[in-house]
Amino acid sequence: MMDAGRHPKIKLLAYSEVESVSGYVGNFSVRVRKKARYVDETACTACGECVKVCPVVVPNEFEIGLGSRKAIYIPFPQAVPSAYVIDHTHCLGDVPIACGKCRDICDKKCIDFDQRDQIINLDIGAIIVATGLDVFDPSALDEYGYTRHANVVTSLEFERLIDAGGPTGGHLVRPSDRQQPKRIGFIQCVGSRTISPDGDLSRGRPYCSNICCMNTVKDSLLLKDHYPDADISVFYVDIRAFGKGFEDLYRRSKEAGVKYIRGFPGEVVEDPATGNLLLTVENTTQGRVEQHELDMVVLSIGFIPSEDQAHVKKLLTLSETDEGFLLESHPKLKPVDTPTRGVYLAGCAEGPKDIKDSVTQASAAAARAQIVLNSERLRVEAITAFVDPEVCTGCGLCAKVCPYGAILADSKTKIKAQVMEAKCSGCGTCAAECRFDAIAMRHFADDALMAQVESALAENPENKIVTFACNWCSYAGADYAGVGRMQYPPNARIIRTMCSGRVDEDFVLRAFQLGAPVVLVSGCHYADCHYINANRWTQKRVDRLWDRLERKGVRPERLQLEWISAAEGAKFQIVMREVERVRQSVTLEEIEFTRKMLAEEK
Amino acid sequence: MAEQVTFKCLRCGHEFRGVYDTEVERMCPKCRSNSVRRVKEKPRPPDDAKSAKP
Repeated sequence: MMDAGRHPKIKLLAYSEVESVSGYVGNFSVRVRKKARYVDETACTACGECVKVCPVVVPNEFEIGLGSRKAIYIPFPQAVPSAYVIDHTHCLGDVPIACGKCRDICDKKCIDFDQRDQIINLDIGAIIVATGLDVFDPSALDEYGYTRHANVVTSLEFERLIDAGGPTGGHLVRPSDRQQPKRIGFIQCVGSRTISPDGDLSRGRPYCSNICCMNTVKDSLLLKDHYPDADISVFYVDIRAFGKGFEDLYRRSKEAGVKYIRGFPGEVVEDPATGNLLLTVENTTQGRVEQHELDMVVLSIGFIPSEDQAHVKKLLTLSETDEGFLLESHPKLKPVDTPTRGVYLAGCAEGPKDIKDSVTQASAAAARAQIVLNSERLRVEAITAFVDPEVCTGCGLCAKVCPYGAILADSKTKIKAQVMEAKCSGCGTCAAECRFDAIAMRHFADDALMAQVESALAENPENKIVTFACNWCSYAGADYAGVGRMQYPPNARIIRTMCSGRVDEDFVLRAFQLGAPVVLVSGCHYADCHYINANRWTQKRVDRLWDRLERKGVRPERLQLEWISAAEGAKFQIVMREVERVRQSVTLEEIEFTRKMLAEEK
Repeated sequence: MAEQVTFKCLRCGHEFRGVYDTEVERMCPKCRSNSVRRVKEKPRPPDDAKSAKP
């Protein structure tokens, strides 16, 4: 961090917040609010004289409440820049004159109570998102007694207790009586790998937090090193020591005498007289219920997406996984890219990971950003949208549905839509949604897709299944079914679009007009959408079509919608067989009736 | 409070109650199809009285 702070080509804007981002790859405009520190960071030498005289004492957030700080403070020891900041919510201030002791004592005259937030506008070529994560709050897990028993601490609190720079100077004491604990228990997977039937996330998240096992192994070795007589027990289901050298570390921990007990305690009870903790646990290896009396319990807590991730996601038009972490463009081929070109991911914003993986990913993101920064010209996507200004009414719907914010339009002023081609990724949602057909696509144009519909239904349309499949998932799923020799009805006529969001209502209605018994629209699962959230518009459009068909007396069942991933060849086969079953239920009279009812539809 | 609505599966016909959330994939709990339609409380009458339902 010090190296980054001193680097001539790195400008650190600490204690700042990004307020808005506009533009596109190579040409982002970023508005940053640099918050008032009330201390001149360029003059402050961190001598600490101000801290000595500050009368306000509040809990220290970095020490997770285990220590205290003053109203003027440095957030954490390695902070860059190493300069003080005044916590304005707690500072007594000097207006009206109430304190001002820090200002009086500062030789360098760094304290400035009149300082205000600054707005900084930056021209940026590429953006790396490294916003980190938050820790799980175990308060809801009442069986572990985190909120009731003083000697039950989280792994993060434990880290502060054993840190040489922590509140106890690295001497491990238990919170209730400041005595050194002899018997310490670690409970793994607290808040991780937990699925509540009702979807309640307060008891935990379904994913593995990735680093808790090795953090416990590391802590147990450190304890054994400092306190060889310590009796350490680890309650776990399985230890995930998957990285380079991790298994060796785990083996060393066991050899050092750390007891690994397979099973989670059902209850942690405190002895009020001693503050000791009694754990009841089913040891599933031994097949018996055991009781363990411990001096201290450490909850190895999991990790959750950062609280302000939704704000970052909205600012940069990013996508997120079901778990709430930011989604990469491709898990194997583009692991640090995002759907928004010129924006890259590093560290735990993308998912829980250890230091080594975070550094690896950060290096990769920096290298990817370098490609953008060092390019004189950037290639834009060949498949992009363009607007016919003669037809456009300036309704602004296209701008509303664009997942990338690539369309400039204003419904109030009726300014005609403009596509920023460098930002457009070619999903085609705008073209499908435009009620006036004012937006067309380069490649996968309306004419080309309509011609495919007509060709598919040119002969014996009553026997055909018209299937729209998105390029990235369902088309690949169909391919996988074929390669895997999974037989599906041969009367399927697959029409590829880049995204299911491209499937215009007109294409579906045209198919029914031409005598199609059934139409299937298929795309990526929500979490896999290659165009951020374009397939949510597919769902809305199909909803509209179902209503429209029903109003015309056509069975909505004849239009099917399925989300099929590239790996779901088997699902593609099942879906096609089911759709074939629906097709067989459609009579010739029904098809003729549909043709008649939809004849006048656009 | 999330809105509870009725859904109908267009593959198996199963009707079920669930939360209406545009950010969550719809799936029939019985047949796992995604062709799940929200059942509106007061459906509009068809444009034509005649229906082609078999």
